[in-house]
Amino acid sequence: MVKLSNVCVSFNRQLVLDHINLEIKAGEFVSLVGTTGSGKSTLLRLLYMDLIPDSGSVSVGKFLSGTISSKQIPMLRRKLGVVYQDFKLLEDRSVYDNVAFSLYVTNARIADIKKKVLNVLANVGLSHKRNSMPHQLSGGEQQRVAIARALVNEPILLLADEPTGNLDPTTSLDILKLLKDINTQGTAVLMATHNYDLVRKAQGRIVQIKDRKVFDVKLKR
Amino acid sequence: MNIFYVLKEGISGFKRARLSMVISIFTITISLILLGLFTIVFRNTNQIVESFRDRVEMEAFLEEPITDETSPIVERKIHAIPGIKAAKFISKEEAAKIFKEQFGEDIRNILEFNPLPASFKIYLEKDYKNTDSARVVYAKLKLVPGVDDVIYRKTLLQLLDRRAQLFAMASLGSGIALLITAIFLVSNTIRLAIYSKRKIIATMKLVGATRMFIRLPFLVEGIVQGVLGGLFSSGFIYLVVVYASKVFGGDLAAIVFVEPTFYLIILGAGTFLGLLGSVISVRKFITESVALTN
Repeated sequence: MVKLSNVCVSFNRQLVLDHINLEIKAGEFVSLVGTTGSGKSTLLRLLYMDLIPDSGSVSVGKFLSGTISSKQIPMLRRKLGVVYQDFKLLEDRSVYDNVAFSLYVTNARIADIKKKVLNVLANVGLSHKRNSMPHQLSGGEQQRVAIARALVNEPILLLADEPTGNLDPTTSLDILKLLKDINTQGTAVLMATHNYDLVRKAQGRIVQIKDRKVFDVKLKR
Repeated sequence: MNIFYVLKEGISGFKRARLSMVISIFTITISLILLGLFTIVFRNTNQIVESFRDRVEMEAFLEEPITDETSPIVERKIHAIPGIKAAKFISKEEAAKIFKEQFGEDIRNILEFNPLPASFKIYLEKDYKNTDSARVVYAKLKLVPGVDDVIYRKTLLQLLDRRAQLFAMASLGSGIALLITAIFLVSNTIRLAIYSKRKIIATMKLVGATRMFIRLPFLVEGIVQGVLGGLFSSGFIYLVVVYASKVFGGDLAAIVFVEPTFYLIILGAGTFLGLLGSVISVRKFITESVALTN
């Protein structure tokens, strides 16, 4: 489903990713670990094609980094869900509108939007807060809204960039549990984090970025 | 594309960012007032200057004695010169009458004879009312048998030619500078307003909005701002014109004369400015990285 082959990325002539190879299969749960600045976010940006590699190729579903046009990038992103550490919610609109926003941009029918938004809000446990504004929510609740927004288009892959970075340990575990539930329902999840405790609890595949290279690691028992 | 959503987003932009909207509309209004008043004054001043040129005519005085037979022959020859629209014969008696009208006394009573020669008052074609062409007509008139002397307001024509050129250059320069300033000012103000919406643009891109879908609400916003700016500036210019016409009166009122279609042009210019400002501004943010927008 996702394949990176011999991918190199550099910023200001400084190599960040050096001939990396990675494959993610449908329905997998992958934790991407590495120190701050190791290139985790860069790898995620490659997947939603906010960044095109200097060399090598990235394929996500039927989309290829070498041939994708700027008009196709929105189509790719509709197949993905992206969640950030800082949530990136729209402060000027309600929880419902934040989630519905993803569907408006895909030209969904108004009746379908209502049904889907209420459904996904129920899945993340926020039905009762649908009319609240983001600033009225806790950090954990805001991240749930961001996840709901990412899920409402039924993506094939959910990308989570440090999703618990701004949250306390208990809330972090709640979010992890939610991500695992989503994964159980069939959506592949790629979670970038430097929280090793969370990775241990996730019990999925672990991929590490170190010295500009990517490789699978096994946790010691 | 969900047009209802685009319009709703465009209009609700006013509620969400009232201050920046007011500033954008204000900037468009001020820019249009400056451009509008400049255009009115430039155009009307130019017309007034050109009306002086319209009054330029030549007088060809005839040799004496003049007979009933010679004057039609001279007239035919004058008419044959290119650039002459009409020629009106003024007899010695008519010349004396004009003198009396101008000075209040009959010249024949002063001198006991009429020294004023018969003449032709010559009206030039529009294109010949400039220094170079008038000089050619003048030289040809001097060569017509029976014509003794030719006079015209040569220095006025020279002055008009020089000043008209200078005026046109200065006006064109100032007009272009003013227009560029207006476009820069408006797009900069709108850019600041859109800057505050970088996050919404990034989110739209993140969830798979097409560029056109992102752009449209901002363009709607820009058009609405432009139309409002156009209406306010038209209203202000109208009040200025009404007031100035009352205060100046007479010839000077012509400087502030405006046809009703001018207000429509101002409205159109406002819409154009608002739209252009949005197009320029949104382009910058639409290409920004999603992840790096905070």
